[in-house]
Amino acid sequence: MAIIKGKAWVAKTYVMSFDMIVQKFWTSPIDPIENSKWVMAGVDEAFNKENGFKDFGYTFIVAGHNFAGGGKSIEHCVTGLMGANIKAVFATSFARLQFRNAINYGMPFITSKDINLDCETGDELEYNSDNGEIKNLSNGKIFSSVPVAPFVAEVGAAGGLMNFIRTKIADGSIANLH
Amino acid sequence: MAMTITEKIMAFNSGRDSVVPGQLVWVDVHTVMTMDYLGKQCFKAFESLGAKTLFDRDRVICVSDHLVPPPTPEYATMLNEWREIVKSYDIPNFYDLGRQGIAHQIMVEQGHVLPGKISIGTDSHANTYGAVGAVGNAIGVTDAAIAMATGKCWFRVPETVKFHIKGEWQPWVMAKDLSLHIMGMMHWNGHLIYKALEYCGPAIDALDIAGRMTLCNMTVDLGAKNGIIAPDAKTAAYLQSVQKGDWNMIASDADAHYDAVYEVDVTNIGPTIARPDKLDDTVPVEQLVGTKFNKAFVGTCTNGRTEDFAIIAKILDGKKIHRDVNMICIPASQQVYLECIQKGYFEILVKAGVAIETPSCGPCAGIHTGVAGDGDIMLSAGNRNMKGRMGSKNAQIYLTSPAVVAASAVKGVITDPRSENW
Repeated sequence: MAIIKGKAWVAKTYVMSFDMIVQKFWTSPIDPIENSKWVMAGVDEAFNKENGFKDFGYTFIVAGHNFAGGGKSIEHCVTGLMGANIKAVFATSFARLQFRNAINYGMPFITSKDINLDCETGDELEYNSDNGEIKNLSNGKIFSSVPVAPFVAEVGAAGGLMNFIRTKIADGSIANLH
Repeated sequence: MAMTITEKIMAFNSGRDSVVPGQLVWVDVHTVMTMDYLGKQCFKAFESLGAKTLFDRDRVICVSDHLVPPPTPEYATMLNEWREIVKSYDIPNFYDLGRQGIAHQIMVEQGHVLPGKISIGTDSHANTYGAVGAVGNAIGVTDAAIAMATGKCWFRVPETVKFHIKGEWQPWVMAKDLSLHIMGMMHWNGHLIYKALEYCGPAIDALDIAGRMTLCNMTVDLGAKNGIIAPDAKTAAYLQSVQKGDWNMIASDADAHYDAVYEVDVTNIGPTIARPDKLDDTVPVEQLVGTKFNKAFVGTCTNGRTEDFAIIAKILDGKKIHRDVNMICIPASQQVYLECIQKGYFEILVKAGVAIETPSCGPCAGIHTGVAGDGDIMLSAGNRNMKGRMGSKNAQIYLTSPAVVAASAVKGVITDPRSENW
């Protein structure tokens, strides 16, 4: 059973992609450690310094609708969170571009309706990736989540879509993608 | 089995007879677009995959749009590195400074997008391609690199929401007004997330391709996966001289299933404005008449086309921009630029006191060519108005149509373009 425990940061308002990674870093190389240094810098003034978000030591992010919305195809939002040791994001819904990027990087973006209404920043959460259950250990509430699609799990197990495709190119099975 | 146009495109381009929403398919992409901002990373990621060659170098489209002309030495260096890597792959369709345009404009006007096919690009407004009956979708570096290697991309087939638009377009009302009206009606944070939006009906049939591009362009800001308008005789006429490849007419089946159907009567829609910070905070222009602003902007992949400048020229002919307003116009491509010169629109604009810049994403991306400073109140015909989008977080952005921007720029305050005989 895969269980992850840790502290959550809970968004009080919409989290926008262009605030997760502010403009001057949009062209930076994609590198989880580098991208994590300034991830979330525009979301909250408390995060607006080097390793500002990372140093809080959160394991999860909890949000409402349209997490990482506002456009932007940049992958730094996801790699930045990965580098900041975020293991999963739970939200009512995700903006499609970053939802897609998260799948491609094997980063769990887990849909759990209204979970943000019953969590506070600093709460200790426990996520069971086998049954999708999320427990808020700080207030005893339990949340279910939308099951992860088999393809998404397969990409996650491969360590992301690049690895998934690399293997298929190397063994010649790439033509079978259907 | 009855399918919507988006479902048909996903089925036919994945070698299937039919698909259902929720199904995961690997599709063949017709073209992959990348640009100066992320393009080098796409090629580097492609190189790391172990593929020997690009899937088709004629169908990897490279555009310089966000950073041209470079505003800083850092961006100039980045552009140089981008050029080197594009040249090293001998990409025939490289739209660099001098031949440039905003990627989405280039993709459509140069015929790299075709009805019934799927094109992807590393910029969120790739939804624009639906204007000619293609599935256009924004993706990240990873998806672009994989498509460059394999010609394929994965998709979850979206549910389709239909917007049936009827009625008569009123004078000075543009596709942008309908787009903003729908934004206010549906809200931008989540309600249409992951959906395919299909626009149809007599008021859509009446729209030119430029208007259809505006409408499909902003579906990304409704959260949608794609926006699409079935091809018709106007599409065929538009593509005739530019299309690169064959295509067939395609449309939704009459008995296709829709997740929801909305009907909007465009007769009742007037010029519309989104107030600062939120795209869905839209109001009829009447509510804001008299509001002061100091910067006016028309351009972008949403409203930087010849048809948009034609409207502006009609309003500005013989007029002067108000002394308290600075107005910048940026054509969406070199082709648009040339057309506007040839038709005399830019002569009218320059005489009126408009600054015209070379094609680029300009201040809409908050990078250069007239970004917002502290305290600026922008009246923009771009596509986003969130805090900091066009520069300073201490600026306000009102989003509206080119007609409202032009009429207001003459008066120095927000003005209803219907209030005068321009």
